[in-house]
Amino acid sequence: MVATISSEFRKFFTTRLWWGMAIGTFVAAAAFAGLFGALASRTGLGDPAQGGIPPMSDHQIAVNVYSSGVSVGYLLTLAIGVLTIGSEYRHKTMTSTFLATPRRVTVMWAKVISLLGIGGLYGVVFIIGSVAVGATVLSVRGMPAFAGAGSIVRTLVLILLVLGLWALIGLGAGILIPNQVAALLIAIGVAWIVEPIAGALLSTQSWGAGVAQFLPSRATTAVLQSYNGGGEAEQLSWWAGALVLAAYAALMAGIGSALTVRRDIS
Amino acid sequence: MTIAETDRPVAASREGRRIEITGLTKRFGSFVAVDDLSFSVAPGRITGFLGPNGAGKTTTLRMLLGLVQSTKGTATIGGERYADLPRPLQTVGAALEATNFHPGRTGRDHLRVLAASAGIGDARVDELLELVGIPAVARKRAGGYSMGMRQRLGLAAALLGNPDVLILDEPANGLDPEGIRWLRGFLRHLSAEGKTILVSSHMLQEVEQTVDDVVIIANGRLVRQGSIAELHGDPKAMVRTTDADALARALAAGGLSARALDGQRLEVVGDDLTRIGDLALEARLPIHELRADETDLEALFFALTDSPENRNRNLEGGAADHPAAETPEEGVMR
Repeated sequence: MVATISSEFRKFFTTRLWWGMAIGTFVAAAAFAGLFGALASRTGLGDPAQGGIPPMSDHQIAVNVYSSGVSVGYLLTLAIGVLTIGSEYRHKTMTSTFLATPRRVTVMWAKVISLLGIGGLYGVVFIIGSVAVGATVLSVRGMPAFAGAGSIVRTLVLILLVLGLWALIGLGAGILIPNQVAALLIAIGVAWIVEPIAGALLSTQSWGAGVAQFLPSRATTAVLQSYNGGGEAEQLSWWAGALVLAAYAALMAGIGSALTVRRDIS
Repeated sequence: MTIAETDRPVAASREGRRIEITGLTKRFGSFVAVDDLSFSVAPGRITGFLGPNGAGKTTTLRMLLGLVQSTKGTATIGGERYADLPRPLQTVGAALEATNFHPGRTGRDHLRVLAASAGIGDARVDELLELVGIPAVARKRAGGYSMGMRQRLGLAAALLGNPDVLILDEPANGLDPEGIRWLRGFLRHLSAEGKTILVSSHMLQEVEQTVDDVVIIANGRLVRQGSIAELHGDPKAMVRTTDADALARALAAGGLSARALDGQRLEVVGDDLTRIGDLALEARLPIHELRADETDLEALFFALTDSPENRNRNLEGGAADHPAAETPEEGVMR
């Protein structure tokens, strides 16, 4: 198992994907933190009910600035998760992977464990980008960058968890849809466009808000306890949000793995 | 029935592992890709696994390696299923397709990824790259490799764990004549170490000089197996003279069995051309041609795999003209 995991890490770090994604994650984290840091204000901006930003405490501002790029960050780790398995199907390296480790369940577990680590690693890259730029912008504007430091650290750690879990959701999507390009388009399309629209539509219904909080993006917001895009929406507690994300990941990776163990590799 | 293993003994230092295929069957829907196939491959010998394209060779190899699940039957290596091998890369080395590399990863890193999962160090990786002759190019991304380089990299991957058993799918594809000669010598060397080597090919000609034994399949079924020597059959000589019947009698008197093909030509059993010439001289019959008649293995291969019941199913349009469709159990194939 240890050998298979180390093989998975080696696989990941021997193509150009990893540093391309690392740069993307860093830039996204830095850009969003810079933008939100520049716009954030204690008095709020516009009418919250109309999509404006409500008044926030110094602590809330810091948390929101540092986690503002997460919705792009998790799209990137989602893509990494898809590519981890998708490129094996696309380039038919699945054959040599399963020849080296014929117990396919072992391979799948190795991918899950290595992806959690890789997601966490991108989380570190993300945090370095968002905190460095976000804290600088806030300081320049004379606002406290680390109000409620303990709670901020908690948020940063949870960012690692969120990015790791989204990588696993990507793995699940990549296993379920063996065509890499289709898997990427569907996973990103659903997470980036379809799901937020569905969430917005659900929220307009009286019965929908309770359902909407279980959508992956809402669960992510819940984990980070950050600004949820409007004061009216119901939000899960942070651990319930994490469990919801883990459930998505487990369900998709579980079904996908069960299929892969039986699938003929040609 | 197993393949003869008389003329070359297994090296004493290794016991060797035998590949056993028993009643192996694979159905894809109603299509029977491999049909009740049984054969075995002996250690210390090179066995050619032959058949036209689409005969089921790759499917058979993939079942043997646990990549494709068999519908029926078993395939074992040294008595164990591939999936049950405790150290697969150290037991069986396989090179299935020359295209199984991530184009953005270097050849060396491809081997390092495999090496990591088998606990093999980088030193062994570099040793193998040296051995297959691509140490420099292996540090470039595999996307730019020629077919020959891919074949060599695939071979290096198969040899990574110094396995007892080698399974190579069309290893000569894309190699230049020099590369093929190199591969031949290399496989000879490995089989002398007692390794079990199974080499698939769609051309008998390509492996004729390399293999000791052959397993020939067509349309998923076994057509012929045996040693290359058995396939060649008894040596024959071809003689052309003025009176074939007279020469046949003279040769028969001399103890040689001969058969007149027409007025001028005879086929003689045996390859002692000197004796045939001497007997003709004694009988005062002129010789216009005298040569050893090699069995044309290529022709034999086509005869075996292209006989009506084995005609390539992939080349046919309709079901109705397929002879196999007349028997109920084979009608499943359609």
